Amino acid sequence: MKEFTRYFFQKFFWYLLAFFLALFLNFFLPRLIPGDPISVIVSKMMSGTVASETQERVYQSFVEEFGLDKPLPIQFFKYIGNVFRGDLGTSFSLYPLSVNEVLGNAIVWTISLQFPAIIVGWILGNLLGAAAAYRKGFFDKTIFPVALFVNSIPYYALAIILLYVFGVYLGWFPIGGGYSRTLLPSWSWAFVIDVLHHYFLPFISIVLVTIGGQAIGMREMSIYELNTDYVTYSKMLGIKDKKIQSYVFKNAVLPQITGLAISLGTMIGGALITEIVFGYPGVGTWLFNGIRQLDYPMIQGSTLIIAMMVLIANFILDMVYGLIDPRIKAAQTEEG
Amino acid sequence: MKKVFVVFLLLASLVMGSALFAQVTQIPREEAVYVAGFQWGPPTTDNPLAGGPMTFVSDPRQHIWIYETLFTWDALNGKYVPILGESYRWLDDLRLEVKVNPKAYFHDGEPVTADDVVYSYKLGQKYPLGLQIWEWLKDVYKVDNHTVIFEMKPDNPNRLMVEDAIGATFILPEHIWSKVEAENNYDLTKIRQFRNENPVGSGPYKVFYESPETIILERVDNYWGNEALHGGKKPAAKYIVHPIFKSNDEGSLAFENGEVDVSQQFTPRIWEMWEKKGLPVGTWYDEIPYYVPSSMPSLWFNVNKYPLSLPEVRKAIAYSVNYSRISELAMSNYSPKVQASLILPYGGEAKYFDENLVKQYGWEYNPKEAVRILEEDLGATKGRDGIYVLPDGTRLGPFTVECPYGWTDWNASLQIVAQSARAVGIDIQTSFPDAPIAYDNRQTGNFDMTMWTPSQPSPAQPWLRFQIALYSKGVPEVGQIAYSNFGRYRNEWADQLIDMNPKVTNEKELKNLYTELDQIYREDIPMFPLMYRPQTFYEYNETYWTGWANAKNPYAPPMPLVGAGMEMLWHLEPAK
Repeated sequence: MKEFTRYFFQKFFWYLLAFFLALFLNFFLPRLIPGDPISVIVSKMMSGTVASETQERVYQSFVEEFGLDKPLPIQFFKYIGNVFRGDLGTSFSLYPLSVNEVLGNAIVWTISLQFPAIIVGWILGNLLGAAAAYRKGFFDKTIFPVALFVNSIPYYALAIILLYVFGVYLGWFPIGGGYSRTLLPSWSWAFVIDVLHHYFLPFISIVLVTIGGQAIGMREMSIYELNTDYVTYSKMLGIKDKKIQSYVFKNAVLPQITGLAISLGTMIGGALITEIVFGYPGVGTWLFNGIRQLDYPMIQGSTLIIAMMVLIANFILDMVYGLIDPRIKAAQTEEG
Repeated sequence: MKKVFVVFLLLASLVMGSALFAQVTQIPREEAVYVAGFQWGPPTTDNPLAGGPMTFVSDPRQHIWIYETLFTWDALNGKYVPILGESYRWLDDLRLEVKVNPKAYFHDGEPVTADDVVYSYKLGQKYPLGLQIWEWLKDVYKVDNHTVIFEMKPDNPNRLMVEDAIGATFILPEHIWSKVEAENNYDLTKIRQFRNENPVGSGPYKVFYESPETIILERVDNYWGNEALHGGKKPAAKYIVHPIFKSNDEGSLAFENGEVDVSQQFTPRIWEMWEKKGLPVGTWYDEIPYYVPSSMPSLWFNVNKYPLSLPEVRKAIAYSVNYSRISELAMSNYSPKVQASLILPYGGEAKYFDENLVKQYGWEYNPKEAVRILEEDLGATKGRDGIYVLPDGTRLGPFTVECPYGWTDWNASLQIVAQSARAVGIDIQTSFPDAPIAYDNRQTGNFDMTMWTPSQPSPAQPWLRFQIALYSKGVPEVGQIAYSNFGRYRNEWADQLIDMNPKVTNEKELKNLYTELDQIYREDIPMFPLMYRPQTFYEYNETYWTGWANAKNPYAPPMPLVGAGMEMLWHLEPAK
């Protein structure tokens, strides 16, 4: 156990370092985009007025409010301080809303879309992949090419095709948003059904790609396992096929769990395209808007959430592997 | 026994659930007017002092539903429509007297008085709110409870902008906002952050519900203006709903389907809706140009960048542009023929427009004339690649022309500009960066050519347009931010004329001044209009509501229930 504690702290230290690096990049990268966000705010306010001191005064008051008159290092440390107090700042493009508020609402939409979709896609994909490997024949000849096909369509194209066919052409599903604009959010059947109606297309698009990718991986791992010595030996011993299949499944699914953890960790970043295509009100949409509007706090906030999710998922994964696989732990602690 | 209990529990929760779920959540369609095209992001605040870019109630020239202004401007005839202000008149060269309607009161029953008016304007003196009136004003004070005097600075009077300002500032209830000020320690940054949920104004509607998807306003049944301004009538619509669409296409589709009743979105080929699809849709005119021209999106030159600093080059470009193609392809024919003038030949300012001078000295689409200017006036020769080269070896281009990405009609217009120019031998490339970058380039002067509208219709036109296009005083050097005269044009005589104008009251003298300015403009051509656009687009769908104003029934200007177009709320009737 002592060894594991060392492993834990070593890993923790590296992740902490990565976290600070992410904070640093979050802060400085948006500021490399050319353009002056304050002049955009002021020009919208003052559009169509004559040249004057008033404009300068308004401009200055916003610069001071956002602290942009201070040197970058001071702004940076202030930002770090605020992050640790859980304050992501005031949005420029949605002034005076706070980034916490906007992203707090958005993340609920993102997670409730992505999490179930990834889980469902992962389970179905692994079951199908395993089935393709065991049953072979017709099953393998259809599932494998279909999975390969779905997986090789770029995701945005798949999403747009789904939207066009089922939303625009057939008109079965709405073409955007989280719910109808004629409804007020409430716990009513009408509203819940409406939300599910809007939920379906983005959900199915994620499930489809996840199935494709998982099925291919699972099929290959299973075929590999099926050709190992222990399977041949078990068969010779006369163990039932069902039993052997469960051994194979357990061994084949291990690397797939890594895949699951990574997709869960990256789900908020991965949400970007889904949300843009389907106009879904999640974090990805706000990140995209933030970039287009030079909204530094909004970009910083969304990328920070994405970075943290990825880091946490990877950290948990490392810990789990450290616990269950002594080889990894040993190798890692020796290196470090 | 255990099983029975579980079943019972399930049933009970279902019944309870449905009871909870049963509450009404939908706005009755026949009681609501749906509008679109004013808000493209979530509502962020209802504080009119926040001045942020996306505040629904913050534009006093348009959204006078909750808070009201003294007057509102009717661009059709160039006159003010009284709201809180009953009348106004100039007492002398420096003092403007405004009478406040004594019948007016706020939603909480408190009367609207001269004190509220003085208070609202003085906020702009206390804080940097963008209220420009204080550049020209010495003081605002009350004479009695319903009379206010605006007194200008004797050394810098500007009656045009003061008249403009009495139609462009919300009158806020002092008894509420003075408390807000005090609670926030008179600190503007804190006052700006104040969210102002449930704003108390004096207008005919109040906030009912807001979300990132929709804004819903509810009628104020005891609105003072029903009695005082509308003969005791109430607006028929109990709710005004503004769905927030993510894109123009989404909004247009909703409008076509009757989900939106009136819209200010740009809708391509609107006539097809009634001519081909037989929908109960209308605009102001039922034939070309369908809308009333009112502003002029223009191409601006960076006049200090050689060879664009040569007026002949600028003129050759102006001659090369195929304006009718822009109107037809980019604007769906919504723009009448563009004239070589900074004065709009329509509405209140048409009286200053001099058609003969425009014909004699102006430009129009004429590629041969463009080539003649290049070859004869400038002595340029055509290079092997078909682009002209000046005698000193300067090639005419590549110049870039830019505007924000996604402004589809503008993008298309600039593509036509580039094609037109290349056809005569000037190399122009288009560039469509994201809006903040295009804004920044425009304001800092970092461009060859850019596209922008020199100010919206107002009582101060066409003076304001000349000011924004030509005036150089107070405009900083290239590299620093300017909010007007983006190309940094300089002409002392023009500056002087622009300084003179706002003090002149004699109409004949005024016309002479404008004519003189327009001539300077035509000689130097620091920018030129590409199209005429309506103040706001205006299209209505009569599926649910009838009684909309149009050219045949012009009781209100073509604005979708905003500004002076608010009048329509009292004329609408549910469709049978």
